[in-house]
Amino acid sequence: MPENVLLLAALLLSVIGLGWFALALDVHWKQACGKQARGVASARGLRLFGGVALALSLILCLQVDHPTMAALVWIMSLAGAALIVAFALSWRPHWLALLAARPPRRQAG
Amino acid sequence: MFQNFRLAMAWVHTWFGLFLGFVLMVVFFFGSLSVFDREIDRWAIPESRFEPQPMPSFDEILKPVFEDMQPSRESVDQMRSRVDGPMPEHFDTPVRWGAYTTHRDPVLGLFAGYQVPNAHNPDELVWGTRTIDPRTGESLPDDQLKIGSRFFYPLHYSLNLHWKDLGYWIVGLAALIMLVALVTGVIMHRKLFRELFTFRPNKSNQRSILDLHNLTGVVALPFHFMFAFTGLVIFAGIYFPVTHTQLEPLHDLHEVMESQETGLPHERAGVAAPIASVDAMVAEAQRRWAARDMAGDVGFLALQHVGDANGYVSIYRAGTDRIALTGEGIHFNASTGEVLREDPPPSAVERIDEFLTGLHLQHFRHWLLRWLYVLGGLTGCACIATGFLFFVEKRKRQHAKRGQIGSRVVDALAVTTVTGMLIATLGILIANRLLPVSLPARGTWEQYCFWGIWGLAMVHAFWRTAPVARARLAPAWGEQCWAIAVLAVSAVVLNWITTGDHLLKTLSAGYWPVAGVDLFMLVSALVAVLTARRLQRRARPQPADSGELSGEAAHA
Amino acid sequence: MSTAIVSHAQRLSRIAAALLGGYVFAWGFIALGVAAAFAAGMPFHDAEHLFSLLAFLLYLVTFLWSFAARDSRRVWLVLAGGGALMAALASLIQHALV
Repeated sequence: MPENVLLLAALLLSVIGLGWFALALDVHWKQACGKQARGVASARGLRLFGGVALALSLILCLQVDHPTMAALVWIMSLAGAALIVAFALSWRPHWLALLAARPPRRQAG
Repeated sequence: MFQNFRLAMAWVHTWFGLFLGFVLMVVFFFGSLSVFDREIDRWAIPESRFEPQPMPSFDEILKPVFEDMQPSRESVDQMRSRVDGPMPEHFDTPVRWGAYTTHRDPVLGLFAGYQVPNAHNPDELVWGTRTIDPRTGESLPDDQLKIGSRFFYPLHYSLNLHWKDLGYWIVGLAALIMLVALVTGVIMHRKLFRELFTFRPNKSNQRSILDLHNLTGVVALPFHFMFAFTGLVIFAGIYFPVTHTQLEPLHDLHEVMESQETGLPHERAGVAAPIASVDAMVAEAQRRWAARDMAGDVGFLALQHVGDANGYVSIYRAGTDRIALTGEGIHFNASTGEVLREDPPPSAVERIDEFLTGLHLQHFRHWLLRWLYVLGGLTGCACIATGFLFFVEKRKRQHAKRGQIGSRVVDALAVTTVTGMLIATLGILIANRLLPVSLPARGTWEQYCFWGIWGLAMVHAFWRTAPVARARLAPAWGEQCWAIAVLAVSAVVLNWITTGDHLLKTLSAGYWPVAGVDLFMLVSALVAVLTARRLQRRARPQPADSGELSGEAAHA
Repeated sequence: MSTAIVSHAQRLSRIAAALLGGYVFAWGFIALGVAAAFAAGMPFHDAEHLFSLLAFLLYLVTFLWSFAARDSRRVWLVLAGGGALMAALASLIQHALV
């Protein structure tokens, strides 16, 4: 059972990590947070956060499985997470504002 | 030939992708289903709906079954022309007995190969198979079609086209083209990372289709590449039979050296000998695996030169804890039970090969990874399907103006291979529930239904894509989506009516093989309905494209 | 499509070079690789696996090169000629060993 929890956490971390990577791009930041300023340092910070989250996700995968299997689980979870982030950006962009700890953009899309 | 490198790559991507895309669609889709082939088998053969079983006792359960087996009539008939004189009534000299199982198999498949007296090639055997309930040893009817593992799975790698291995070659070419399409796609895309998360569903059809094509292609790029590549590696022996043609002499030289090295007898001694307790050998093998800290379920058990003093028993592990397809085989003298040989640890190259094959064939026990594989495969399908759609969207106005039918034909073929394939898949499952149990060659009829329904879907696709020739959306897409929804729900209901296993029952019992297939079909029905409704909205005339397409789209 | 005016024959020649020429080249590569590596002491199956694995990647590269290269005669020369040459060398090595 704890294995499933660890894997679920790993999946969640991949989504969050890639979400931060997406927010580091101007166009997606605007989709999620509108015109609120972010600043250059913050883009770098978001990428750093993203990197750390993805690394943590990999570490969790490695806790559960043999390294070869964990690496595959992690890579495939990134594919799934990227899809989730992309579809969230197209249909529910304000959800990503949560990751930026900013109030979401007012009007949708 | 081309103005520049990028245009050359775009040409290759478009045209090879289009022609082999139809094959790739089939390969990706049935590959995704094959991840759960055993579970689909359970759905299709209600008698086998019980929990997976470990390899049973050889001495008590398997041995009497093997002794009772005989080669199949088809195998004997096929052999007849390569034998001097008549075939015997009874085959007395089994050369090889084998039993194979996985952590997902409730029933156990057995096979036996027999020497044929006066055969032109004495090494050629006749074969028989049997499926048993491993709890009792009772034989189950072997003529039921295992739709998952014996129809969808071979469809994935051979298109079930066995004449001169043609299917393997077509799939192999398609896999090569998949690799080509991925590399050329990356070259064309340019904004790979900047647009990684970009999908704009509210822009023009052409733009949002291209977004989706790029998105599905890029996010699962490692998956697509590794699966196309490892698929080729698995069948390397078919695609490049170098060591069985040009380098055959070298291969033979190595075989002689190898059998000297392994010490496993290549030939029968001609002296009869009884079989010692195989269960004791299994226990010894498991003790040795445990000493190496490996899971000890037996996956494959085989006896060679049965009943002869040179006979030996090979026991392989089911490698459920690794990606790599390993066996860690241990070989015993069949009549004394002493260990003849333990397979040495794999070399570096073997390790790579086992990893690549295992990655594709997935014998491991990991449900999350299995589902992620399905996701990867379906992402591949989406990528290929959006490729077709983009091809049509980009050209249909121009073709309509010039009175050309190219985009209509492509659209019809796309309908056939996308929604038509889903309809055929649901069709075989419905046929499986509706055809009378007593029907002779029922499995063959199920396959006829599959191809027949697919053929009908194709006719419908060509008929109902006529508006594409006037640069409009084909009604075929929406209509086939509705068909999918109706068929998927019918399949679930028919499973309930004919077996009594409705979702509440299977879910509350936690019987995931059947519950999973049912749920998957219901989700497909939902997606089909949503798609059909979205298509209806899209079919209304749209404002003209605003010329926002980037250069990448312009010359794709 | 591309605005370059391309004759059908040229296009077919490129396609054939990519598919058939590339196949011959990959075949020759496997044959020579296996024979040479076996002669140098590598286990037979290792050599077989290693070179067929590499051959598919090579096939991918030669396939793309067949369309990217400027001169199609050179493509044919390298792929078919090179493949035949490697296959012949492989047979020579085999002859010396067996």
